[in-house]
Amino acid sequence: MSTAANTPASRVIVIGTGLAGLVAANRLASGGADVTLLTKGIGGLQLGQGTIDVLGYAPDRVTNPLLSLMALASARAEHPYATIGAAPVHTGLDYLKRLLPDLLVGDPEANYQLPTAVGAIRPTCLAQPSMVAGHLSDGAKVAIVGLRRLKDFYPRLVAENLSRTTLPDGGRVSARPFSVDVPARDGEVDSTGLTYARAFDDPGFRSRFVAAVKPLLEPDEIVGLPAVLGIKDTSAWRDLAEKLGHPVFEIPLPPPSVPGMRLNEALTEKARAAGVRIVNGSRAISARVEDGVVRGITMATAGAPHEYTADEFVLATGGFESGALTLDSYGNVTETLFGLPLAGLDDGPLLHGDYWGSEQPLFKVGVRVGPDMRVVDAAGAVVHPNLYAAGGIIGGSSRWGEKSGDGIALGSAIQAADSILALTPSAPGPVGGSTPEEIS
Amino acid sequence: MRGYSTVLLDRADLGQGTTGRFHGLLHSGGRYVVSDPLSATECAQENAILSRIQASAIETTGGYFVTGPDDDPAFADKFLEGAAKTGVPAREISVAEALRNEPRLNPRILRAIEVEDGSVDGWQLVWGAANSAKAYGAQILTYHKVTRIDTADGHVTAVHATDLKAGEDVVIDCTFVLNCAGPWAGQIAGMAGAHPVDVVPGRGIMIAMNHRLVNRVINRCIYPADGDILVPVHTVSIIGTTDVKVDDPDDLKIEHSEVQEMLDAGEVIIPGFRKARALHAWAGARPLIKDKRVSSSDTRHMSRGMAVIDHTERDGLDGMLTIGGGKLTTYRLMAEHIVDAMCDKLGEKRACRTADEALPGSESGKNYVVTHRLEDREHDRLDDQIICECELMSRKMFTDALANQPKGTFDDLRRQLRLGMGPCQGGFCSTRATGIALDSDHIDIERATGLLRLFLKNRWIGLWPILYGEQVRQTALDNWIFQGTLDVEHLPAPESEVAL
Repeated sequence: MSTAANTPASRVIVIGTGLAGLVAANRLASGGADVTLLTKGIGGLQLGQGTIDVLGYAPDRVTNPLLSLMALASARAEHPYATIGAAPVHTGLDYLKRLLPDLLVGDPEANYQLPTAVGAIRPTCLAQPSMVAGHLSDGAKVAIVGLRRLKDFYPRLVAENLSRTTLPDGGRVSARPFSVDVPARDGEVDSTGLTYARAFDDPGFRSRFVAAVKPLLEPDEIVGLPAVLGIKDTSAWRDLAEKLGHPVFEIPLPPPSVPGMRLNEALTEKARAAGVRIVNGSRAISARVEDGVVRGITMATAGAPHEYTADEFVLATGGFESGALTLDSYGNVTETLFGLPLAGLDDGPLLHGDYWGSEQPLFKVGVRVGPDMRVVDAAGAVVHPNLYAAGGIIGGSSRWGEKSGDGIALGSAIQAADSILALTPSAPGPVGGSTPEEIS
Repeated sequence: MRGYSTVLLDRADLGQGTTGRFHGLLHSGGRYVVSDPLSATECAQENAILSRIQASAIETTGGYFVTGPDDDPAFADKFLEGAAKTGVPAREISVAEALRNEPRLNPRILRAIEVEDGSVDGWQLVWGAANSAKAYGAQILTYHKVTRIDTADGHVTAVHATDLKAGEDVVIDCTFVLNCAGPWAGQIAGMAGAHPVDVVPGRGIMIAMNHRLVNRVINRCIYPADGDILVPVHTVSIIGTTDVKVDDPDDLKIEHSEVQEMLDAGEVIIPGFRKARALHAWAGARPLIKDKRVSSSDTRHMSRGMAVIDHTERDGLDGMLTIGGGKLTTYRLMAEHIVDAMCDKLGEKRACRTADEALPGSESGKNYVVTHRLEDREHDRLDDQIICECELMSRKMFTDALANQPKGTFDDLRRQLRLGMGPCQGGFCSTRATGIALDSDHIDIERATGLLRLFLKNRWIGLWPILYGEQVRQTALDNWIFQGTLDVEHLPAPESEVAL
């Protein structure tokens, strides 16, 4: 392609490779767009719990996420779900389940309630098959099994908190902890979850683990394990359950998150297969805007900055956690790539001193979007006609508390991608045809 | 050490109220050579003594007094003159040499003077002294709050205290009370029926910046002012401090304006200071005593910085002395003075030996260096886990400290271990600490969960006043971990929050 003017509106740059960026890129590429994904590194999925939340608390515990989403959307106009709506989220959940049938299962209208690594019971919408036996019912007998050389999982903490918790549906479980000492690598006492996950890919290691654990299990026990049961082999957990003769479930750990890595790798592979060009390893440092239209994104590539151009742009850079939003020492909040107008800055102090109190207002700050996910200003006017936003950069919600981050990312990514695809209903199907123009 | 049977009472953890709430500076005396020559000499002498007897709590970093671009260069002449008079070692060096050794210093500084400032871990310092006292038979009772002091015929006879952790009252019969309660000294003196001791707490805030922006203490070479000291302490650098009179030492706020003032002051010393990552802020209260009733006969035990109040003449009360003022660098000297005064009252001659004897753990006389934990972990990394990567704290360090203080909160342990004091501010180590503490059998699940909640709450107190830049990003990640992945906020609700 020689000039942008001759190109149909099918060249798209997606910035950021968390759930929003990966879903948008996949969706766009499979819809016929020519997609370049720009990313500084591995995205946020590997830092999360490796499930797909839609809505967990609103503020009470949610059992039907889609239904509660609709109620929240009509009650709170500033919430991203009010703009996104339930349909794109539903579409996204189906899309993900079809895309990753080995990794995600669940019902958009029924949350799983799964134990965490401190023994809380956490709602989530889609989970990995290796986790769902953790959705416990009254009277369940549970063995929480730790690995002595893995320092991010304390079975007694999980078991004793579980045992003193009333289940969301009522009832109780009896959970007991024990640990086994099966080294992931000889001579190493401080192994990461990832090291263990790689060990669990090996059938020989799994046999050694089973030999240590099986004699200690009691009849009818469900076995809770740290979420390290294989990274490449997504059926390792199933083999383990068969060998143990007990149902097992994985409990996600703090980062690095093995289940998150599985999702990240699978979605990245799908994107590559769909023809997405991934530029990884440099930070997007500036945007070129002419007459209000975004023309290019410059990456701080080695040697010299490098500009990538396209017709449409999806900003999926995340929030404060990824550096897409910053707060400076004078109290100014900035969207770092475009300097976009932000919502949530005019309602008083951004921070308060009560850790267990209400969500810090700072973390609700983000951009506003219109129904097609284009970034809009306070008056609702589109900021740049070809700039869309998806995921954590969109303001208005307390994602970690609500357990809504994945659903917002998913719904906004689907909506942004479909809005772009709708611009060129006859977009060419073949992948790998045109590539974005590069200007050194 | 002088053979008395002694009980030490503290209403909280040692150093929790005042001693730990400072910037980590072991004064060379330089700060006072012009403004307060007596204090300068005391600091210089005590610096040398403490660096020797408490070597393991002190890093002999050295320090510079630098004249900022807009500071009066002539003050450095007064400074050198004062240093010579007061016996504070000081030597002017070229700006080029200062910049070579401390590359982040403002290149526009006008003069630089080298002094023997050091960096001191306040908690290691007080616990070193406490452990030495224990070895000589003293009892150390932390979290014991004094509730009443009995007197009979004008003489102190007993101290009542509540063991806050156990919820029990204790009565200690005694012939003498040394009131070393700092900003709370007035309250203690009042319990014995003394006339009010006028304590005027002076609040100062400190901010810990990630990394060692400098490896030496950097002071502004000006008449002592706010925000003119930057001290490298362990893995961080601490800027301080402000001085605002407050009414209540239990209510110390970290004002937004003071934070801004510190950051501006930091820019003068280190250009780009505001872009560096601030980790944590805290406030402390100087125990300044303004007492009109101190009679002239007390001046024997008075210097400009510290004062021993004799309650016999002042209040007709025997068996109690109060000490106020002073500074961390001269804490040993304060102790010497007040115990000397007590010996005088009791008519006994028992010589002070604290300046001569190394404290437990410091016998080798080897000062700590910033890499000491790295060296330790090199030795044990194949045998033990690192529970706090930021501060290189091993599992055994944690379990040993917990065994010594089974009723300790994670903050009590933090003060000795630096748990949660690095860049992630507890993001990764808090849950590990909770799991390990529960496994230790010292606590049950209710308390373990409560301790986690308390620790996170307390970390936030020092985080939110300085939350900007990269620490916002860290906080967001920490929130994703605690709420996002672990759902800590939906653990079974405690009947009442753990407070101690």
